[in-house]
Amino acid sequence: MDINSIIPLLLALAWLLPLGSFALIFLFGPRMGRAGRYSAYLATGAIVVSCVLSFAALGFWLTEHYPHAAAGHGGHVAQPISGEWYTLAEFGRLRLTIGYYIDSLTLAMFCMVTLVASCIHVYSFGYMHEELSDVTDPLAPLSNGQPLRRRGRYCRFFQYFSLFCFSMLGLVVAGNLAMVFVFWELVGICSYLLIGFYRERRSASNAGNKAFIVNRVGDFGMIVGLMAIWTGLGTFSFAEIFSQVRPIAAGHQLQTPEGLSYGLLVLAGLGIFCGCVGKSAQFPLHVWLPDAMEGPTPVSALIHAATMVAAGVYLVGRFFPVFTPEVLLVIAVVGCITLFLAATIAITATDIKRVLAYSTVSQLGFMMLALGLGGWLAGMLHLFTHACFKSLLFLCSGSVIHACGTNEMPEMGGLRRKMPITSITMLIGCLAIAGAGIPTLIGMSGFGLSGFHSKDYIMAQGLLFSTANPGFGPIFFYAALIGAGMTSFYMFRLWYMTFAGRPRDEHVHSHAHESPLSMTGPLMVLAVLAVVAAWNLPFTELGLKPLLEQARPVGTVEGVAGGMLLPNVAMPAEHLAHEYANSVKAEWSAFAVALLGFLLATAFYGLRKLDPADARRTFSPLYKLFVHKWWFDELYALLLIRPVLRISNWVEAIDKRVIDWLADNSARAVAAVARLDDWIDRIFVDNTVNLLARWTYSTGLWLRRLQTGNVRQYVMWLGAGLVGLFVLMNLYWNYATAGG
Amino acid sequence: MSLFTEPIGLSHFLVVGAVLFVCGVICMATKRNVLGVLMGIELVLNGANLNFVAFGSSVLRPAGTEGIGMDGQMIALFVIVLAAAEAAVALAIALSYYHAHATVDVDRGDELKG
Amino acid sequence: MSFFNFHDPEVLRTWLLSLIIFLPALGAGVLCVLPIRSDQFFKRFSLAITVLVFLLTVWLAIPAGDSSAVGHFTLGEPGMQNVVDHEWIPSFNIRYFLGLDGISLPLVILTSFLSVLAMWASWSIDKSVRAYCALFLLLETGMLGVFMALDFFLFYVFWEVMLLPMYFLIGVWGGPRREYAAIKFFLFTLAGSVLILIAILVLYFTSNPHTFNMLTLAEIGQMPDSPFHQTLLWGKSVSWWAFVLLFIGFAVKLPAVPIHTWLPDAHVEAPTPVSMILAGVLLKMGGYGIIRICYPICPDAGYELAWVVCGLGTVSMVYGALAAMAQKDFKRLVAYSSVSHMGYVLLGIGAWSATAEFQYNTDYWTMGMSGAMFQMIAHGISSAGMFFLVGVVYERVHHRNLDQYGGLFARMPVFSGISMVIFFAALGLPGLCGFWGELFVILGAWSYSKVLAVVAASVVILTAGYILWTIQRVYLGPEYKGPHGDALTPMTRREKYIAAPLVALAILLGVYPKALFDYVTPTVQKTVVEMKDWSEQPKADSQSVGWVERSEPHHRKNPPKKMVGLAPLDPPYFSEQPSVDLQETEQP
Repeated sequence: MDINSIIPLLLALAWLLPLGSFALIFLFGPRMGRAGRYSAYLATGAIVVSCVLSFAALGFWLTEHYPHAAAGHGGHVAQPISGEWYTLAEFGRLRLTIGYYIDSLTLAMFCMVTLVASCIHVYSFGYMHEELSDVTDPLAPLSNGQPLRRRGRYCRFFQYFSLFCFSMLGLVVAGNLAMVFVFWELVGICSYLLIGFYRERRSASNAGNKAFIVNRVGDFGMIVGLMAIWTGLGTFSFAEIFSQVRPIAAGHQLQTPEGLSYGLLVLAGLGIFCGCVGKSAQFPLHVWLPDAMEGPTPVSALIHAATMVAAGVYLVGRFFPVFTPEVLLVIAVVGCITLFLAATIAITATDIKRVLAYSTVSQLGFMMLALGLGGWLAGMLHLFTHACFKSLLFLCSGSVIHACGTNEMPEMGGLRRKMPITSITMLIGCLAIAGAGIPTLIGMSGFGLSGFHSKDYIMAQGLLFSTANPGFGPIFFYAALIGAGMTSFYMFRLWYMTFAGRPRDEHVHSHAHESPLSMTGPLMVLAVLAVVAAWNLPFTELGLKPLLEQARPVGTVEGVAGGMLLPNVAMPAEHLAHEYANSVKAEWSAFAVALLGFLLATAFYGLRKLDPADARRTFSPLYKLFVHKWWFDELYALLLIRPVLRISNWVEAIDKRVIDWLADNSARAVAAVARLDDWIDRIFVDNTVNLLARWTYSTGLWLRRLQTGNVRQYVMWLGAGLVGLFVLMNLYWNYATAGG
Repeated sequence: MSLFTEPIGLSHFLVVGAVLFVCGVICMATKRNVLGVLMGIELVLNGANLNFVAFGSSVLRPAGTEGIGMDGQMIALFVIVLAAAEAAVALAIALSYYHAHATVDVDRGDELKG
Repeated sequence: MSFFNFHDPEVLRTWLLSLIIFLPALGAGVLCVLPIRSDQFFKRFSLAITVLVFLLTVWLAIPAGDSSAVGHFTLGEPGMQNVVDHEWIPSFNIRYFLGLDGISLPLVILTSFLSVLAMWASWSIDKSVRAYCALFLLLETGMLGVFMALDFFLFYVFWEVMLLPMYFLIGVWGGPRREYAAIKFFLFTLAGSVLILIAILVLYFTSNPHTFNMLTLAEIGQMPDSPFHQTLLWGKSVSWWAFVLLFIGFAVKLPAVPIHTWLPDAHVEAPTPVSMILAGVLLKMGGYGIIRICYPICPDAGYELAWVVCGLGTVSMVYGALAAMAQKDFKRLVAYSSVSHMGYVLLGIGAWSATAEFQYNTDYWTMGMSGAMFQMIAHGISSAGMFFLVGVVYERVHHRNLDQYGGLFARMPVFSGISMVIFFAALGLPGLCGFWGELFVILGAWSYSKVLAVVAASVVILTAGYILWTIQRVYLGPEYKGPHGDALTPMTRREKYIAAPLVALAILLGVYPKALFDYVTPTVQKTVVEMKDWSEQPKADSQSVGWVERSEPHHRKNPPKKMVGLAPLDPPYFSEQPSVDLQETEQP
């Protein structure tokens, strides 16, 4: 069978199954078993089948594109499968479609997302168990001081999860930017809904709003990028954009296409990256992710660690061919700042999930840094390995929270014996994220947990970049190095504070218990993945690295030396980073700082040779800065939110005081003119008429006196009148006046 | 030339008519009795009648003029009929006046006062 | 011609269209004289009439395909269809001239559809029901007539017919400040319509022979040597003045920003069904008028004033969104969101991308204008839905103070779910109807002005802000904080049935927008291509772009032959295919 038709079909099925599950639960959720318990099976079934279909699609892909050792870096470029399912709108030659663009990156993402999602679905059986019956939520106090009691929302949780899986897979399979944007927003709304799952809690609904609105800020930039691309190139389709930006005729080198100026191309790249900044919680839009931990822990694991926040990195990777060196440098700078900033905050955080959240931000910063420095594979690989170990870490923390009923690490401690599986899997996760492994020794190439490999690639790329750009390059490398050290420190700090030592809160400790199998099972699966994710299958060339290498955008194998605006930046080719001299240095330095971090953590929190409180006092200003998260929330409230609210109040006032004032007063003015008119009528016109009438009346009154009623008087008047007439006639009458 | 010296002509009739008329008017103005007033009216009417008849007479007409022909006689007849009718109505009014005021003194009634 | 010869498709068509327009008015008349006193009967009767009209309009919308049934719509046909043209007042050349194309048909269907829902939502009206129903039906006649009339005079008559019932519906059945609101609504709109009347008369007397025919006027306006180019006042041409007057008139209705304040007051005071109609249909008349009348008849003024139209659109978007954020009253908030959303319509219509400096491509303007049309329909659905939902909760608790809500999710789960969908549609969430209109408008605006497009794009942040904040204040939270909490009962069956079609349409249009674009785009494209052709006309007196030169005093020497006598409206006149032009633009 032709893979060009079967793979889109399989992926479409895998994509739409969660949608079906969502629709069914949306409509019939509460009626699925008692309190909707079977909805969980439906959602999980859908995502597991999706997972199977994704792996099947991967299998079909491998029949055509088996990675061979000889291929090497960029040697074998597998042609992506792209096409369209249906048309959304058509204006002349502009077309907007629902389509697909499938290469090995898409397939790997499908497998990763569905696999992790399956694990987390299963985990949620146990974690969300209490939603099956009525829930008392102490964090949502009523006005009478009582805690809220509400119906469980078990099925709603799985409903949103299904919608999220559908949206995420749609984002991955998308064949054009508009479709990416559509699903970009949809995952955003799923995130909003799931962060606000405990919608009675003020903090949860605030966090949901914050997440969505901050993401919208990023999306605003993305829309600008979309506009530039759409107007310049007349298409959103990845295949067409790439072929216009990197035409075959130019040997797949970045060209300024016909419709776009170079500045607009940079703007387009920055715009798209702006969207990624929002979604992947990069500086300066990183503030939403830690708050997003208000959601249930499986949500944090799936959406805010493994998949959705990685979508930004994915899009940067997908859109990599369009980024000019200037944009790449911006990406690197943003990634660098983020990874450092977030790591510093993670060191001081005490909420277990917030530590992990900042760690996620920091790791995403690593990915962005790698991509920005030209290390496409490094960034992508870290995306995958991070998804495995970070979802593991989150699920472990969920298991701990489930057992202790608190998020605060200072109340935990000594849980190792009570929760052996959780503590061991979490240790594996910590080792993976810290990049534990054996660096290259004489003759033996380096080997370690998944994080070791991906972080090694990033470090190697950073080192290579710093040698290529001796001026400012080392900043990136050393920042990454410090970040890696801090990663190791805060992760082991977390582990020690939670599992090691003596229990700090007897009450919490006595209640703690190991989680049920539905929760520990996924932990073990993910722990295995966290170890092996970056390995090739034994004795073959089959593994994540070669697979991703197939998807490397054409034309990006060799480095770029400078763009039009910044001619001095050189983006070195990635394969050079794996040259022996470079990679050994990178590996050893990464190993050294990770070890240093581990040792420090052990000294402070494991062996308690050093007192953290002392360090806090010594570095008091720094500590304050970190613990207040660099005052970003306060800064944004001061600079953005309050001004917007104030302006909106002004606008409202303008409406009421200016426009309405004008309208009302012009109406009043007209009414005043009418009153004036009325006054003129009454004073002048009416009075004239009335005066006449009055005269007539008074004359009549006067004449009335003649009417005495006395007949003889009348006769007298008659006679007098007659005589008078005669007299007058005699005096004045003549024939001339009579006309005779 | 005086009325007394010339032959009977139009002027004599007119003088008699005028005397009758003035007598009637004075009668109307001075009598307080309703019946007296009515009599005065009759005198006035007849004074006027005399004028009409005189002007209508072919004998009294100055030579060479046409006068008013038969119209004078016609109007005089009309006035006589009218006077009869008027007398009937007037007497009825007088009667009802008497009923209302128990007297026939016209000065006692001033219902028509404005 | 006998009006009862039903074998003649011409006669059938006349009956069909006239029936659609006048059936409600007829119903209103019957309602007034019926010797029945049952309120329930009046409502049922009116609902039946609206349903009947809706079915008839649906009949109009069915794609014709190969069938020869009278009234079906031929997809892909850009010109006027179902034309009805009879003499009315011959001495002034006024005709009974109706027709439908891709721009008016969706609005006609929206009108009849929302009328059904609004009538059904009127069940809670209990004050002089007979008069209410009669006025409501009369209003429907006016609205349908406005969208179908192609004779300017007829258009104006319907425009005014629609105005009065609305005044009474607000002024009699409204809230506590209803007199103020009704008079404000009436005065604003009347002021606008007076300007429209002036423009109509100016155009009538400038055209030679005098005509009220919109299509003929459009042809005259687009002629290279149009009589509308002569100077009218202050050095500006007839065309310029007509455009400005018409635009102000329609912008009041839309409403665009400085003249929008009647809208919040009218909405707040109007009863729920009237709000639905007001937001869902009446606002669309402004946009419809601008697309149908302003641009085709006065292309040069449109070209010159595109920045005003777009600027006002963008200002409305930002201003409405900001004002919405400051509201405490639920209905006022929704009203201001309407101002913001209708700003997109202005921007999309006005974004004359032919002026873009490095590209001369009609496709983008087609997209912007189609997006504006889509936005009108989408806003018709989402805003009517929002007003209905506000009404549902207002009927229960009798207040609209946003700060006193909260926790509705637990009390009214189905209602809250529906609200989420409708509000997200208004927010512009993909997969729901609000998204595509906004996206295409913004994308289209970029070719006209990057600054405006960027400002317009930034509105998505504000929109998200006020909608999510509203959702948080009303639906989320632990408990309801306001008075009459006991009255918060779940939605009744009738309310669900009213909301369901809105939700379904919101999703349908969101998932498959082509369903609407198939109707709209050909006509919009025809309009846009005509504009493009107009702007490419050889300029007799200048080499450059040339509106400046064209607005100089410019007296027509001899009237063009084509316009002598009103051209008989034979089919080719209406089905003027822009195929040649399309082919031209398809060349990259």
